[in-house]
Amino acid sequence: MSLLGKSLTRIDALGKVTGETLYPGDINMPDQAYMKILFAGRPHAIIKTIDTSAAEALDAVIAVFLAKDVPVNEYGMMLKDQPVLCGPGSEKPFAERVRFVGDQVAVVVAESVAIAAQACELIQVEFADLPVVSDPLVSMQEDAELLFPDKESNVFIDYHILRGDVEKAFAEADVVVESEYRTPAQEHAFLAPESGLGYIDEDGRVTVAVAGQWAHEEQDAIAHALGLPLDEVRVIHPAIGGAFGGREDMSIQIALALAAWRLQQRGINRPIKIIWSREESIIGHHKRHPYIIRSRWGATKDGDITAADVEVIADGGAYACTSTKVLGNATLMCTGPYDIPNVKVDSYGVYTNNIPSGAFRGFGGPQGAFAAETQMNKLAQELGMDPVELRMRNVAQDDTVMSTNSTLPKGVTLDKVIESCALAAGWNNGIAGWQRSGESAWPPKITGKTKNHIKRGIGFAAAFKNIGFSFGYPERSWAKIELHGETEIEKVVLHHAGSDVGQGAHTVFKQMAAEAAGVPVDKVEMRLADSAGKEDSGSASASRMTFMAGNSIKGAGEAALEKWRNEERPAIAEFTYRPPATTPFAPKTGESNPNFAYGYVAEAVAVEVDVETGHVNILDVICANDVGKAINPQQITGQIEGAVVQASGYTILENFVQQDGIVKTPHLSTYLIPTVLDVPDRVESIILEYPDEVGPWGVRGMAEMPYLPFAPAVIAAVKDAIGVWFDEFPLTPERVLRGLGEI
Amino acid sequence: MTIYPFEYFEPKELEEASSAFFEHGSEAAILAGGTDLLNMLKANILKPKVVINIKGVPGLSGIEEIDGELQLGTLTSIHDLETSKIIQENFPALSEAASFLGSIQIRFLATVGGNICRAAPSAETAPPLMAYDAQVYMYGPNGERSLPLKEFFSGPGQTVLAEGEILTKFKLPIPALRSGSAYLRHSIRQLMDLAIVNVAVSLTLDEDSETIKEARIVLGAVAPTPMHASAAEKELIGKPATLEIFEKAAQTAAQESKPISDVRSTQDYRRAMVQLFTRRALEKALPRAAQKN
Ligand SMILES: Cc1cc2nc3c(=O)[nH]c(=O)nc-3n(C[C@H](O)[C@H](O)[C@H](O)COP(=O)(O)OP(=O)(O)OC[C@H]3O[C@@H](n4cnc5c(N)ncnc54)[C@H](O)[C@@H]3O)c2cc1C
Repeated sequence: MSLLGKSLTRIDALGKVTGETLYPGDINMPDQAYMKILFAGRPHAIIKTIDTSAAEALDAVIAVFLAKDVPVNEYGMMLKDQPVLCGPGSEKPFAERVRFVGDQVAVVVAESVAIAAQACELIQVEFADLPVVSDPLVSMQEDAELLFPDKESNVFIDYHILRGDVEKAFAEADVVVESEYRTPAQEHAFLAPESGLGYIDEDGRVTVAVAGQWAHEEQDAIAHALGLPLDEVRVIHPAIGGAFGGREDMSIQIALALAAWRLQQRGINRPIKIIWSREESIIGHHKRHPYIIRSRWGATKDGDITAADVEVIADGGAYACTSTKVLGNATLMCTGPYDIPNVKVDSYGVYTNNIPSGAFRGFGGPQGAFAAETQMNKLAQELGMDPVELRMRNVAQDDTVMSTNSTLPKGVTLDKVIESCALAAGWNNGIAGWQRSGESAWPPKITGKTKNHIKRGIGFAAAFKNIGFSFGYPERSWAKIELHGETEIEKVVLHHAGSDVGQGAHTVFKQMAAEAAGVPVDKVEMRLADSAGKEDSGSASASRMTFMAGNSIKGAGEAALEKWRNEERPAIAEFTYRPPATTPFAPKTGESNPNFAYGYVAEAVAVEVDVETGHVNILDVICANDVGKAINPQQITGQIEGAVVQASGYTILENFVQQDGIVKTPHLSTYLIPTVLDVPDRVESIILEYPDEVGPWGVRGMAEMPYLPFAPAVIAAVKDAIGVWFDEFPLTPERVLRGLGEI
Repeated sequence: MTIYPFEYFEPKELEEASSAFFEHGSEAAILAGGTDLLNMLKANILKPKVVINIKGVPGLSGIEEIDGELQLGTLTSIHDLETSKIIQENFPALSEAASFLGSIQIRFLATVGGNICRAAPSAETAPPLMAYDAQVYMYGPNGERSLPLKEFFSGPGQTVLAEGEILTKFKLPIPALRSGSAYLRHSIRQLMDLAIVNVAVSLTLDEDSETIKEARIVLGAVAPTPMHASAAEKELIGKPATLEIFEKAAQTAAQESKPISDVRSTQDYRRAMVQLFTRRALEKALPRAAQKN
């Protein structure tokens, strides 16, 4: 009996609820020393000198490391623009500059946490402050202060899409909708702040045990910075307390490795441990990109969208991180999953002295979708057309040529998700097209007296999101399967480096390995979460893990079974899955085959707004998500509900404030994330299973998708309730009241 | 997050606690529920050399009615305030305020005296206690003294407690006939968030059950200390209890408040919310006053 489609209990559940599972911060090694990282604490400056003598004079201080101690003082997933440690003395040009408050300046190792903290306070850093660039629009200007004097501009990436004749199309359009949208930064606020250990393992490898998303990428970054061959570096991921993209870039990894390695050179072989406080975590890792999106769309009076002209500006913060790819997604998604023959998009990623921006669930998609879907909803209003009907008239299909002058991979199911969601939310498709009937059972009616300062509304939005790495990035995933036994398979061992960041990946690995080998799950053992002895399986990101790992497990399983049939005992096979190739944007036109697979999603949201306080209360959400094949339906529902909760924080509550490069919300008491009282009362998950052509057993990725349409659906619902469009969020009570003209 | 080392005392008598407190002066801190103090220690906002836990001191907790007054021991937990029948019936604004404070776990630990001694501008229990004309009792090197609670706060986080003085209890007169009261708070996050504004009001009606005889409007989070909106209170007295009169008083209260702008909201928004929540609180208190005859 197949195990796919069964909600197998999470294999990590028992350990996590009993507290037996060790997260990196829970692990202690004999004779460990403690590390603390000194942050710059200022947004833009040149470090003239660093005097560590007072710190080093403390008895219990073991060592202090600075920029000069880092052999190759740089890292960065896309551009190696970030110094490991800022300060004078390394070969990296301009590494003596600090470019945001969380730049790392010194690594202190001591006998206790308290002494390490005291030593940090004793380090004398002489700074010469530079003008702070905090507004991306100012940063783009020609005379702007450069963050990197060796670059010509603070614009570190730009993309352009040009298809058809936009101006002609606008001239012929019956309606044109134009808006400037602004989206906020967002903090991941995963449960476990960064923590981990650095040590030299029994084989002499520089080893770090941390929570990450991509062991091999971390291994690569450490090896590069220390100037070591890859096989002398090892990265282990014990239990991971959430990630959401926030662990995609380096935080403590290189510092831990540096400290363990340098100490060993001094004859001190001791494990080094660090645990960041929540405040260090908030300053120390990247945020979701704030975007400015200027968008102009045109349509005929029949609701045929003919033109889109969009300018996209992403505040990349101090370093590029994954910005180049995040911007690529926004460039693609800002015109939505729709058939628009004339498209012009100009997009820019810009350095500022804000906290770097990087990966966060949706990866540029939520910002693009917010602009695209709000444009759709505004167009529907201008045209006097139902928003579902307008979408259905323009929905991308298998043969639709997109802005990139290419079609989407076969099996586009946008119409299916829109239809399912709309039907569940009280729409029907009659002679006059899609319309919502007045007597709809959704959202549930209020019983009893309603207060007249409470207004209700509903909103609708849809989205598409790529699965896996895009734009020609080398995409692959490795797996090894061993089949043990004599006459029948008694034991299956899966080797895989993919991370379970809390999303349950390892549970579905087990289900898929059992399926691939044709055995019950209890015959499967797994060797996971350690770069040693494994090839690259890619990151737990881009909604790719089940898709990519599944294909590698399936491939390895087939190859192992082949050997099994040929009487090999044990039968051992490795397999690296490579999906269909993708291509980057062509420089001027953006022509490309950006992605090999997509997921599709639609959401309907019901809200109520207190027009006296401005409070938005999200009542009810319906989410229809095509997941291809639900390997573990309970995990899918969990991801949908989790995405909705996280997106509701993004949309109505989470207000990450930076002023002149200084974070004004460094605590969870000022940066407010939702509690259970702030999230929607109910989420209905509609799981659709239209198989993907290349996904394993038809799987599509799904974990980011439900995040994307949420903000625009809420914005539309609030408009429905109170008659005001908001082009900027979060919809804090004050913003809503200002929108109403009440203050 | 490293707490600096300190000496720790568990006195068994009030006098012992007070003299230890006096002896170490500003280097000592009193520990009650610890829900504020521990945070201040962890964040190194306070670095006391001595911590004096008063939870073992007898007679400092409990809710009792004595001679027409309610007596509240300083160590009474917020959870007890929330669930006490006497309080729910006679001082509903106090039990409502208690129900908004933190989470259930916090409410079991936190004490009413701690909430008042912390002297946060947004302290949950300060507006209702002031609206009920609470008298606060302190014990120190010179014995016992008492003050109206409204004279207790001297600034954000600051009180008139002298060196060695420990807050011991509150006394609240049982409200007169035809009195009604209510508490409301507005925050950006539904709970577990500092208030944008909190308001306690109390109204006492004349024998005609229409004219306002006494009024209290106490605002939190919109001035350096919890404050009476005195002009608004005065405006209400002798007037009929109508929505127009309430709205006018609410406007006056908004003008009297002195809110700041910060990451949560601007001054303008806070002022608008003072007006709204004062009006809403008065509207909520009125039917309660009308019932109590
Ligand atoms: C998660 C969380 C949520 C919270 N939410 C709220 C909220 O919604 N509203 C709110 O108002 N507060 C809130 N608080 C703050 C806190 O819980 C309350 O102020 C609580 O009432 C403090 O009481 P305590 O007994 O714990 O005080 P402690 O922490 O023990 O003491 C607080 C201060 O008062 C001093 N002190 C205490 N008792 C005496 C005494 N008898 N004499 C002299 N000095 C004394 C202490 O030295 C200390 O400086 C929250 C705290 C947390 C951690």
